[in-house]
Amino acid sequence: MAKRTVLAASIGIILAYCAVALLAPVIAPYDPHAITGAPLCPPDPEHLLGTNDLAQDIFSRLIWGTRATLLLGFIGAAVTVVIGTAVGIVSGYYGGMVDEAVMRLIDVAMTIPIFPLLLILTTFFRPGIYITAVLMGLLGSFQGVRVIRSQVLSLAVADFVTGTKALGAGDGYIMARHILPNVLPLAGVKFVISAQHFMLIGIGLGFLGIGDPSVVDWGQMINRASQNGAMILGLWWWLIPPGLAVTLISLALAWLGYACEDEINPRLRLMRV
Amino acid sequence: MNAALLEVRGLKVGFPTPDGLVRASDTVDLELYHREILGLIGETGSGKTVLGMAILRLLQPNTVIEGEIRYRGRDLLSLPEDEMRKVRGREIGVVLQNSGTSLNPVYTVGDQIAEAATLHQGLKGSEARHRAVELLDAVRIPDPAVMAREYPHRFSGGMRERALIAMALACSPSLLIADEPTKGLDAVTKREIIDLFAEVNRDRSVLFITHDIEAAATLATRVAVMYAGEIVEIGAAGEVLSDPAHPYTRGLLASLPERGMRPIPGSAPSLITPPPGCRFSPRCATKDCKSEHPGLVEVGPGHYARCMLYDRG
Repeated sequence: MAKRTVLAASIGIILAYCAVALLAPVIAPYDPHAITGAPLCPPDPEHLLGTNDLAQDIFSRLIWGTRATLLLGFIGAAVTVVIGTAVGIVSGYYGGMVDEAVMRLIDVAMTIPIFPLLLILTTFFRPGIYITAVLMGLLGSFQGVRVIRSQVLSLAVADFVTGTKALGAGDGYIMARHILPNVLPLAGVKFVISAQHFMLIGIGLGFLGIGDPSVVDWGQMINRASQNGAMILGLWWWLIPPGLAVTLISLALAWLGYACEDEINPRLRLMRV
Repeated sequence: MNAALLEVRGLKVGFPTPDGLVRASDTVDLELYHREILGLIGETGSGKTVLGMAILRLLQPNTVIEGEIRYRGRDLLSLPEDEMRKVRGREIGVVLQNSGTSLNPVYTVGDQIAEAATLHQGLKGSEARHRAVELLDAVRIPDPAVMAREYPHRFSGGMRERALIAMALACSPSLLIADEPTKGLDAVTKREIIDLFAEVNRDRSVLFITHDIEAAATLATRVAVMYAGEIVEIGAAGEVLSDPAHPYTRGLLASLPERGMRPIPGSAPSLITPPPGCRFSPRCATKDCKSEHPGLVEVGPGHYARCMLYDRG
């Protein structure tokens, strides 16, 4: 079945990226910052993807760059999902004034576009990959709160929740044991979709030159390549690989996200048929 | 009789809506004695469920509640929330309506059955699992050790009902409130559930909310009939159901299939602006009482009816 193949392929790709990120020191032939020969070499057996203007090995940089991108995406998504789920559950469960306050705050916050806001915010902090990831996660969590809350609204009045109250359970117990497990699938999808979104934002920040200068990331690689005429000089091995790497992981996450969404929302499945 | 286990006095429950206050329960008085089954009957929307939920204080926070609900002498309505939590599940158990959706789909039945014991008695892990199997066995679920590991969707309607009863009994409460436990069950399963309640009743009182008059007749010691938020007749089950005093109860019995299936004309009145005088008067064939609102009058020993036929000021 085509859908299963896509799902398997996307999981395969994501796992492969994770393996590369973890094993970067083993796989990469050179230190990504080291000068390894002549600058701007075309690909050869020594340098699989040639060298850049600083004579750094592009292949090694590509491998190390996986770490930055995955870290940014996954840490950001984790922050988003944790905050979104926690606030969404509390807001939807208690309803009333708490809910009203949270939702109006989010309505306002959501009118601010996340990318320009990040551009400004990152200039206030020492550029660092963790700070950026957490900031992205915070800003991205608003939407997560809404998604989770809307599901919790119906769960909070579900018969089994009333039943658990009737057994003498407190609010904390009900939220943790009965509501949380029911929103986890949704939180999972939100994680995958946010991870993709944040990876792309991370690349964008790197490309604009406000990434963490102490790490290698694909955005900065693309930036450096295009700044130094890779396009005009036809140095495809410098420009294309990081671009392809981003595209592939981003596609894989999107596919996985859609497949999971289909799985938890039967209505979507019907619509696509 | 000895002191009542549960005493409801002047209970008024109202739900604020944009159109006005819906008086779902209006000045309800009743007692529930030790080891008795009180059948609460009435049509949909007459306030039966609301009464049950009000006793456990499980209604929405904006509900307007007045009156007293005394359980073993303590007024439940003035109890702080954390004290009330200790009453729920431990002192008073409840079997909610809609057994199909009353179990959390993400946990196995066994994981949920002993939840009250986990909450009140700190039962954990294998102890809780063991208790769950015991409870399932007590409500006659075949192969309880195996069924405890199944998810709720694998249970049939009758089995879910049993599981919910087991759940409510986990801490051996002295009072069990059962809300339409025979709803949607076939005749054989219904019979089994009724038998189960008779057994459950040996150690505790049961408030049996139902619109199944036959079930109430089989089980109940006493019966209370509700109409439009009021109790219109209350008394020993045999007496009320064989020799009803109130025209509504008579109509209810006459509408049963085995007694001619003659429905009461008209429909239940609005609970926002109930009819003046007797609430049943617009549908009543016996008497037209638009000006006076009758009180509950004793028509026989322990048998009361709210009707102008008997209320002579």
